[in-house]
Amino acid sequence: MPVRPLNVGVIVKLEPDFSEGNVSYNPDGTLNRAETKNILGPHSAAATLAAFYCKVKYDARVAIGTMGPPIANQALKQAQIISNADELHLYSDRIFAGADTLATAEVLRLGVSRMNNGLGADIVISGHRASDGETGQTGPQTAWKLGYPFIGNVIDFQIDQENRSIHAKRFILLYGFYDVIEEIQAPLPVFISADPSYKPSFDTVSERLSLARNLNEARSKAENFEKYLQVYNSEALGADPRFVGLPGSPTIVYKVEKIPKAKAKRRVEFIDGNDTAQLDMAAEKLLQLMTEAPIK
Amino acid sequence: MEKYDVAVVGGGTSGLTALRQLSNLGKQAVLLEAGSTTGTKNVSGGILYSKKPKNGRVYNIEDVFGREFIDEAPYERAITQYILHATSRDKLYSIDLTPVHEYQINYAYSVLLSRFVPWLAKEASDMSEKMGGGVISGVHVRSIRWETGSNDTVIETDELEPFRVRAVIAADGTNSELADVTKARNKFSSEQLYQGVKVVIKLPETILEDRFNITSEEGAAHLFAGDVTMNHIGGGFLYTNRDTISLGAVYHMDSMMENPVEPSRLIDALIRNQFVAEFIKDRVPTRKANQALISKDEEIRQHFMAVKLLKAWNNLRSDYYSRDGIKRLIESGKFKTKEEIEGRINNLEKELVEKYNCEFGDNYVELEYSARLIPDGKRCRMKTPYYKNVLFVGDAAGRGVFIGPRIEGLNVGIDDAVRAANAVARSLDRNNFDEQYLGSFYTKSVEESPYTRDMKEIDKEYLKIFLDCSKHIPKDIVGSRYGMIFKLMSSSTLRGIAVGFANMLGFDRLLPMVESVDTYVNVPIEIAERLGRHVDSNYIPNTPSLQERIAKLDYDDDSVPHIQVTKPRSEFMQKMVSLCPTRCYSSENGDVILQHEGCIECGTCAYETLWRHPRGVKGVSYKYG
Repeated sequence: MPVRPLNVGVIVKLEPDFSEGNVSYNPDGTLNRAETKNILGPHSAAATLAAFYCKVKYDARVAIGTMGPPIANQALKQAQIISNADELHLYSDRIFAGADTLATAEVLRLGVSRMNNGLGADIVISGHRASDGETGQTGPQTAWKLGYPFIGNVIDFQIDQENRSIHAKRFILLYGFYDVIEEIQAPLPVFISADPSYKPSFDTVSERLSLARNLNEARSKAENFEKYLQVYNSEALGADPRFVGLPGSPTIVYKVEKIPKAKAKRRVEFIDGNDTAQLDMAAEKLLQLMTEAPIK
Repeated sequence: MEKYDVAVVGGGTSGLTALRQLSNLGKQAVLLEAGSTTGTKNVSGGILYSKKPKNGRVYNIEDVFGREFIDEAPYERAITQYILHATSRDKLYSIDLTPVHEYQINYAYSVLLSRFVPWLAKEASDMSEKMGGGVISGVHVRSIRWETGSNDTVIETDELEPFRVRAVIAADGTNSELADVTKARNKFSSEQLYQGVKVVIKLPETILEDRFNITSEEGAAHLFAGDVTMNHIGGGFLYTNRDTISLGAVYHMDSMMENPVEPSRLIDALIRNQFVAEFIKDRVPTRKANQALISKDEEIRQHFMAVKLLKAWNNLRSDYYSRDGIKRLIESGKFKTKEEIEGRINNLEKELVEKYNCEFGDNYVELEYSARLIPDGKRCRMKTPYYKNVLFVGDAAGRGVFIGPRIEGLNVGIDDAVRAANAVARSLDRNNFDEQYLGSFYTKSVEESPYTRDMKEIDKEYLKIFLDCSKHIPKDIVGSRYGMIFKLMSSSTLRGIAVGFANMLGFDRLLPMVESVDTYVNVPIEIAERLGRHVDSNYIPNTPSLQERIAKLDYDDDSVPHIQVTKPRSEFMQKMVSLCPTRCYSSENGDVILQHEGCIECGTCAYETLWRHPRGVKGVSYKYG
C-alpha cells in the first residue's frame, strides 16, 4: 500500500539582522525597523532546515508561512533556498498589526490549515524563538490552537509514514544538573520546534542523491519565488477580527527597556568658521595635540 | 542496505565520463568524489586532446558529452602552436613541433580542471539523475568488500552507510586506494612515475595573445628541455589558458630520487629561464614600507586605501585587456571609450605611486602552486586493468601516453572510461559480472585501444613527422651518441626496418637507452649552445617562497593525518624530505617526521607510507587545478 505523502508546514519570521553594521536605531534608542536590514531569523532557518530534511528524506511537500508586512516575502525567498519549498504563504493585512504572540498564533493556525493545497500539515515546524521577541510562545500557542501535540527543542527526528508517527529527540538543558536527551514518540499531526542546534545529517547514498537534486531544484525555484508565493489577507484566511491584531492581543506591555547605547568617547567643540580668533585657537590646539600625540 | 547498479569512484575527467556514458546507455550509477565539490582535487598539466587515429578508434570526450561540449564547455584555448625549446643558460634553440602536435587530432584544448570538471559534473549528473544515480561529493571511499555467497560488492566510505553495487569503476587516480585495497596492482614505483609541479600564472587576455602571437581562437604550447631541468630527466611546459598560463615541470621520479631537489626549486629554475621570464612578464605593483613618521591610524588608513585602489586598478586592467571586459565596461555606461578606461588606469597608477608608495615594475603574478604524480603508461599500465568486478581506468590503471613531446593523459582516461562503462553496461544487460564476461572483455577492449598500442610500440609515422621537424639539427650532435639509430631512423627506406627492430626489442629495453640524461639534458644543451639564439630578459622574476605558495592554497585541515610513516629511517623516506613538493617531511635525529597539514595529496611519498586520501571534504582544494 503506498504511503500517504507527508505534508510539512513551517512558520517563520522575518527578523532584524542583528549582525554587526546592519542595525539602525531611532533617536530615542528604539530599533529603527524600517532602516534595519531584515533576514530570515536564525531560529526560523533551523526550522526550515528541519523541513528540508523531510523533503530530502521523505520526499515531503513543504509549505512555508509567515505573518508580516509585504517585505516579509524576502524571508520566504530565503527559506525556499534552504528548503526547496513548494508553497510560500504570506499572511499580510493591516489589521494583523500590533499582534502579540497569541494573536499571531491565530493567524498562523488559519494559515497552516490552508497549506499544501488546503490539506494542512502533518508536521508543523517552528523555530525555538525569535531573536527580536525572545518569548518562544508563538510556536507552542499555535500548536495549542491547532490542537496538535507539541515537541520542543527537537534535535533529530524520524517519521514513520506507515504508522503515522514521529520519533523525536529533544534536548533539555537542566541548569546546575546535567543535560538530557529525551526521546518522544507522538502521533501525527504534530507540532515541533527545532532546537537552535538542529543540523540535519544525510548519511545514505539515496539521501545524498536526493540532497543534491533538491539543492539544485531549490536554487532554480527561488529564482522566481513569486511563482510559489500566495498572499492571504484577513478575509482570505477567514480570520475573526476579534482574535487577530491588537484586539486579539491580551498582552499588556507596561515597560520597554531602551537598547543601551555605548557612550561616546570623543568630545566635541563647535567653533565659528568666520571668527579668526576661534580658528587660531583651533589651529593651535590641533598643533598641540599633534605634537603631543604618541607615535605608536 | 541500499543497492545501486554501479559505483564510480573518483570525480575527475575519467570518472565523470564513465558516469555520463553509463547514463547515456540508460544505466544507474553513483559517482563518489572526495573533494568538497567536483574539480577541487584535480590537477593536470593541461591539454585535452580529441584524436582520430588511422587504425582503430578512440572514444573522445565529445562522443560522450555531445556537441555541446565544443560549444559550451569551459575549456581555455585551442592549442594551435607546439614548440620545443632546447635551452642552455641564455641560449635557446626552437623547433616547431606543431605538425607533431597535430598528428591525428581533431583538436586539443588547454584546460584548468577546477573550472572544467564542474561542467562535466553538471552534465553527467543531470543525465545520471534521470537514471536514479548522480554525483555525490565530499565522500571518501575507504574500502570495498565482497560478501560471501553474493556477487554484490559493498562500498564502505568514511561518511555514508555502506551500500551494495554490482560493479565498480575505479577512477581514483594515480594513488588509487581501490587498487591498493584490492591488491589489483602494486603501488607504482619511482621508475614508473613522473612527478609534476605546476604554477598557474596570471596574464591578461590580450597581452597574452599579443605575446604569443595568437588570436582569441588560438593557443600556444611550449616545451623546454636542457639546463632548465637541473640535470634531471624531464622537461618544462608552458600552456596558454584564457587569461592565465600553466607553467610546469615534469620529471622522471627515479631521476629525482637519484638526485633529490625540491620540486619548488625546479619550477623556480624554469621561471627564471630568461625566455620563460619574458613570456610570463606582467606589470606588477609593489608597495614599499612608508618611511615617513606617521601614526598607526594613518598607516592603517593608507594601507586600506592602497589596497582598495590596487584592487580597482587590477580589476579595471584585467577588463581593459580582455575583449569581453571592455565591452562590459562600455555597455555598463561607466566608460565611453577604450581611451577613457586607459586614462583611468593611468590615473590610478599615478595616485598609487604618488600617494601610497607603490611602484610598478616587471614581474609575474603566480596564482596557484600544485603538484601531482603521473603514471608512465609505457612502464606501468595494468596489463589486466580489473579485479573481480572492479574496472580501473585512466591514472588508476597507470595509463597515459608519454613519448618525447607527446603528452597525453586526460584523453587516455576518457577512452578507458567509455570502454569500462560499455563493458559494465553489457554486464548489466546480461546480469553477468564474472571475470570472463566483464573483466576480460574490458581488458580486451582496452588492448584494442590505439592508445595502448602507443604505450607499447613506436609509431613509425609519428617518428617521421618528428624527424622532419628536427631536420635542421646537425647530425653530428645527435649522431655522436646515437649515430647508428639516428641514421637508420632518418633514412626513409631504412626507417621501417629500424622501427621494426626497435619494436622487437620492446619499449622495456629501448626506453632506458632513449630516456636518459643525455637525451633530455646534454643533447638539448649542446643544440642550444651550438645553434641557439641569445635571449635576454630585462628582469629577474621574484619567485615566491614555498611558504608563500602554500599559504595561497585552500585547505580544510583534517585533524587525523591521512598518511602514516612506517619506515622513518628508510632511504626512500629520507629523500622525501627534499622531494615532498610542500615540504611536509623533516628529519629529526635520523627519523623522518611528517606534518601533514600542508599536504597537497600528490602521493610522492605513497610508495613507502600508509597513504590514503583525506576524508571527504578535507584536505586541499584547488581553484585552478
